[in-house]
Amino acid sequence: MGRIVLEQVTKSFGETQVIPPLDLTIEDGEFAVFVGPSGCGKSTLLRLIAGLEDTTSGKVLIDDEDMTSVSPSKRGLAMVFQSYALYPHMTVRKNIAFPMRMAGMSEEEQNKRIEAAAASLNLTDYLDRKPGQLSGGQRQRVAIGRAIVRDPSAFLFDEPLSNLDAALRVGMRLEITEMHERMQTTMIYVTHDQVEAMTMANKIVVLQAGVIEQVGSPLELYHKPRNKFVAGFIGSPKMNLIEGAEANKHGAETIGIRPEHVTASKTSGLWQGTVGVAEHLGSDTFVHVHGIEGCDPMTVRAAGDATFKHGEEIFLTPDETQLHKFDTAGLRIE
Amino acid sequence: MSNRTLPRLLQSPAVVLLLIWMLVPLSMTLYFSFIRYVLNNLRKPEWMTPALSNWRGFGNYEFVLKSKDFIFAIQNSLLIVCSILFLTVILGVLIAVLINKSFPGQGIVRVLLISPFFVMPAVNAVLWINMILDPVLGLQGIAVGSINDLVDGLRAAPGVGWFFSLWPELTPISFRATQTSAYAVIIMVTWQWTPFAILIFMTSLQSEDQQQKEAAILDGASTWSQFRFLTLPHLGRPIAIVVMIQAIFHLSLYAEIEIVSRGNGNKNLPYLIGEFANNNIGAASATGIFAVILANIVAIFLLRIVGKTLME
Ligand SMILES: Nc1ncnc2c1ncn2[C@@H]1O[C@H](COP(=O)(O)OP(=O)(O)O)[C@@H](O)[C@H]1O
Ligand SMILES: [Mg+2]
Repeated sequence: MGRIVLEQVTKSFGETQVIPPLDLTIEDGEFAVFVGPSGCGKSTLLRLIAGLEDTTSGKVLIDDEDMTSVSPSKRGLAMVFQSYALYPHMTVRKNIAFPMRMAGMSEEEQNKRIEAAAASLNLTDYLDRKPGQLSGGQRQRVAIGRAIVRDPSAFLFDEPLSNLDAALRVGMRLEITEMHERMQTTMIYVTHDQVEAMTMANKIVVLQAGVIEQVGSPLELYHKPRNKFVAGFIGSPKMNLIEGAEANKHGAETIGIRPEHVTASKTSGLWQGTVGVAEHLGSDTFVHVHGIEGCDPMTVRAAGDATFKHGEEIFLTPDETQLHKFDTAGLRIE
Repeated sequence: MSNRTLPRLLQSPAVVLLLIWMLVPLSMTLYFSFIRYVLNNLRKPEWMTPALSNWRGFGNYEFVLKSKDFIFAIQNSLLIVCSILFLTVILGVLIAVLINKSFPGQGIVRVLLISPFFVMPAVNAVLWINMILDPVLGLQGIAVGSINDLVDGLRAAPGVGWFFSLWPELTPISFRATQTSAYAVIIMVTWQWTPFAILIFMTSLQSEDQQQKEAAILDGASTWSQFRFLTLPHLGRPIAIVVMIQAIFHLSLYAEIEIVSRGNGNKNLPYLIGEFANNNIGAASATGIFAVILANIVAIFLLRIVGKTLME
C-alpha cells in the first residue's frame, strides 16, 4: 500500500516561502512525476514527503495515517538520489544490505533479498565491488537495489537519471518503468525533463514556483493544457504561442498550436514566412519559420524528406481542431 | 632514450641537493659512531679530534646498548608517541564531530580550539608544569588543596561529619617525579596537538556528502550508526595522515622532556643523544643511528597499516 496525501502543505526557508499551500493525492500504485523548471520546489516537495524536511504547516498522510512528524525511516518510503548517495566504503553487497542490517533482519533473509535484487538489476557480477569501480548506470542500479530490498510502500526518485549520458538515460528510463509495471508500487519521480515525465508517468504534476499548475495523465496535459505555462512546458518541440490579431480572430488573447499540427507547403497556405533553420532528424524535419505575425520564430514539423532551405518562402496551415485558446490571464478557453 | 635525458638532467640539481642534504649528516654520524671522539679528555687528548686512527669498531654501539638508560629510552619513546597518538585521534574525532554541528558562537569556539597549536612547545611545557600541574602552586595543587579544606570543614559538621571522616586526605601528584614525568609530557603534548587533529578532521567532515547521510537516515541508521558506518570510514584517510605526521614529530620530542624533569625518569632517544653529546660524541652518534633505525621501524610499521587506508 502507498497512498500519499498532502493537505495544505507549506514550506518556508526562513522568510521565503518555497511551497505555498498545496493539496495533492497520489493513489496507491500510481507512477506520479513531478515536473517543472529548476528551482520550482520539486525536490523540496519530495523531501517533505520523505520527511527529510519538516513541513512549515499542513499534513502529510501515508495510507491515511498522519506521518507529518514521524521520522523518515518510519515512513516506509525509499528514496533514490540524483548523486546516487552510495556508501563509498562499502561493497555493493553491503550497500544493498545496509537498510536491512539497520532493521536487524536475519543474515539469511538479507542474502535472499540481495540475490533477488541483484538478479533483477543485473548486478550479480558486481556485488563485491566498491561503488567507485562502477559506471554511472551501475551505481544508479545499486541505489535502486538498496531501495527495493526495503520493500517500501512507495519509491521516491529525485532526478535519478540526470547524471547519466543520453543513451543510458533512455535505457534506465525503460528499466524503471518496467520495474513499476512489475511491482505496481507507488512511485514518485522528480524530473525537469518533460520527455521523462511524458514517457514514464500515469500522473504528471506540473509545478511552477511551488504551485501546482496542472495534474493529469500525459495525454490530458498534451491535449488540454490548463494554461499557457503547461502548454509551453509539455511537448517537444514547444508549442507555438501566437499573440495579437491572429489570436483575436479566434476570440482569445493567445492561441497555441503544436509544431506537429501545422502543415508546411512551398506553394500555398494560411500564413506566409521564410525558412530560418531546418533541423533534419531523419524521421522528421523541424523548420523554424520567421516573419509570421505574433510568433517569431514558429516551429513546424515537416516530413523527414522535406527539402526546405534557408531563406526560402514557406506557407503554413494550422489544424484548426488542434488550436489551443488562452485568455488574458493565460488560462485555457474551451 | 634521449627524450628522458633532458628531464633527468633538469631534475638532477634537486636530487643531488637532496642527497647531499641527507647523506652528509648521515655519513658523518655513521663515521663518528665508529670512532672514539670526545669533547674533553685530559688523559687522551688525541680522542678530542675525529680521526680514523681512533677507530673503535662497534665499541660505541656496545657501550650504548649496555648503558642503563638505553632500553628505557626506547620504551619511553614508544610509550609517549603511542599515548599521544591514541589520545589526540580520539579527542580530535570527538571534538571535530561536536563542533561540526552549527551552534551560536561557532566561529569563536573553533578559533579558541585551534589556538593551542600556535603556542611554542617550550612555553607550553613551562605553562603546564608550573601553572597547571604543579602540586603546590599550580591549578592541580590549588584544586586538591581546596577539596581537602572543604572535606576538612565538613568533618566537623554535625550529622554528616562521620561520613566525611571516612574520606581520605587527597595528595596532589608531583609530575616532576620519576614515575610520572612521562605522563606530564603526554598530557601537555596532547593538549597542544589535539587542535591539529581537530583541524584536519573538521575540514574532512565538511566535505562529507550530505546526501549519503540522508540516504542513511532513510535506511533507518541511528546517529551512532551514521557515525560508525559513514563518518568514521570517511575519516580513515585524515586519521592516517594525523597519525603519520604526529609519529614523526613526537619521536623527536625534546623541549618538554627537558623542562618537565631534565630527563629524570623520562628519557627518549633524542634526549639520550643530548646527554651523550655533552661529552661523548661517538656514543651520541651511535645512539643517533639507533634512533634512525627505530624511526624506520615505526615508519614501516605505520606505512603498512596506514598506507592501506591511503591507497584506497
Ligand atoms: N535548505 C534550503 N535553504 C534555503 N532555500 C532552499 C533550501 N533548499 C531549497 N531551497 C530553495 O527552494 C527552492 C526550491 O528548491 P528545490 O526544491 O531544490 O528545486 P528543484 O528541485 O525544483 O530544482 C529554490 O529556490 C531553492 O533555492
Ligand atoms: Mg532538485
